[in-house]
Amino acid sequence: MFASMSNAAVTVHDLRMRYGTHTVLDGISFEIARGEVVALLGPNGAGKTTTIEILEGFRGRSGGDVRVLGEDPIRGDEQWRARVGVVLQSWRDHGRWRVADLLAQFGRYYAPFAEPGRERPYPVDELLALVGLTEHATKKIRSLSGGQRRRLDVAIGIVGRPDILFLDEPTAGFDPAARRDFHDLVHRLADMEGTTILLTTHDLSEAERLADRILILHGGVIAAEGSPEQLAREVGGTSEVRWRHGGERHVHSTPDASTFVQRLLQQHGDAVEDLEVRRASLEDTYLAMVAAARDGEEAR
Amino acid sequence: MNPRTAAIAAGASRGLREFVISLKTPADVGFYVGGIATFIIVMLFVRSTPIEGLDITVAQLLFPGLLGMQLAISATWGLATILATEREDGTLLRAKSLPNGMLGYVVGQNTRTLLDAAFAVGILIVPAAFLIPGLWQTGPAGAVAALGFLVLGLLALTPIGFAIGSIAPNPRAVGGWGLLVLGGIVSISGIFFPIVNLPAALQVVAQLFPVYWLGLGLRSTLLPDTAAAIEIGESWRTLETVGVLGLWAVVGLVLAPVLLRRMARRESGSTVSARRDSALQRV
Repeated sequence: MFASMSNAAVTVHDLRMRYGTHTVLDGISFEIARGEVVALLGPNGAGKTTTIEILEGFRGRSGGDVRVLGEDPIRGDEQWRARVGVVLQSWRDHGRWRVADLLAQFGRYYAPFAEPGRERPYPVDELLALVGLTEHATKKIRSLSGGQRRRLDVAIGIVGRPDILFLDEPTAGFDPAARRDFHDLVHRLADMEGTTILLTTHDLSEAERLADRILILHGGVIAAEGSPEQLAREVGGTSEVRWRHGGERHVHSTPDASTFVQRLLQQHGDAVEDLEVRRASLEDTYLAMVAAARDGEEAR
Repeated sequence: MNPRTAAIAAGASRGLREFVISLKTPADVGFYVGGIATFIIVMLFVRSTPIEGLDITVAQLLFPGLLGMQLAISATWGLATILATEREDGTLLRAKSLPNGMLGYVVGQNTRTLLDAAFAVGILIVPAAFLIPGLWQTGPAGAVAALGFLVLGLLALTPIGFAIGSIAPNPRAVGGWGLLVLGGIVSISGIFFPIVNLPAALQVVAQLFPVYWLGLGLRSTLLPDTAAAIEIGESWRTLETVGVLGLWAVVGLVLAPVLLRRMARRESGSTVSARRDSALQRV
């Protein structure tokens, strides 16, 4: 599986992480191509945050090989740091600063890293417009709502016009409207700038909506990966066929619903009524994984 | 521009901004106003109280030590509290996520501390010039020497602030316990009464810390030489003063970067959120 592709933004090979005797990551491998949007999906405690912090260069690892933009993150220099965007969850830092002032302050660090065709930093006005904070430019940060704060977090993450952007649980605590706004923003970033994006979430529908590809992290390994459609097909697996025949209800589970239905109709023809085929959704499978993880935790 | 130069410039502007913000914040201004009001009231009471056997007033004797205390509050306690707070609230992690961000952050804190200390000292000097007769009796040479000791004091005290702030478990530990410890050190440092009146053991303890030496150095520049009679050894001990303050500065400047790097290395999103959780539980 592991091949060093030159256009990969991220390559992870056999990444392992232990805290004492507790194994969090038990040899995970994946690649992210440049410009790709990938969601790392998993229940709480699956090791998503550990993984993303290792990629951000904020955390060492117990074993394995990791490359982000061609460098080992833990040894990444300031040149490398300038190309990596990290969206942190603000709490009450810089509460007394005004929105535009803070973006201008953070932008200054990136000015020496401008490249032809990649202006750095992002002009503050454009950045504010992009994240929808133009009218709040002169507001104090502590007066912003939770959703506005998170959009500011994203603005700070991209002020250096990064080649790759990391977001850890970006929509935790959002109401549905704020969540939709946020999803639009991520799409815009990916489309406009061709930014490679890795985000973590425990919300399957969010992963399906945002990502080109989903990696499901479960029990310290990557349990499944693929596009949302692929995953639905592969992980979803079996289908349930229901029908009525001679006044009696029947249910049958099968991995190959088409063949089964064909035979059923050949055999009984018009006598088959209320025929219904339902594929076990990705959601069913994911929820089963989450439940298993929770049971495992309680047993411990 | 070179990336490090850009970060230093950004840090300086960051420090200036933080200082200006602080001047516009009622709580911070209240802290200054309260301090200066107390100072003026005390000075009004003791401005013409003579000290027996010496040709100076109580106000003259107190003033240099109070300047040293202001500097210690600003550069050590204030800086350490801010650093511990900004570790907890994620400011430092943000700095770490920027190219040369830690460099900019440290430059910013130095800038802010310098401005804050200059302001804190300045707001004592201005009323003192009106309230304390004979304040400038040592002339311009005395004032310049006093400025020299203030700068040396800042060099000795600021790295201690960085060191404490980077190893403190949380801002409450520095703000509360730290203030108590600083209060203890200040009270035995010969600021409010001559150190020779203390038991010998406490005199030894006081001389381990820079607050006493900074006060002594400032007294030596602003008071007549006869006033040295109530100091240890009846001398200003200028060489020792410069030596001890210089030693603190050197040790601090070597140690603080090591501690700051260690602190920065440990910062990550999950350490910040763990601290947030424990801080919220306490509230």
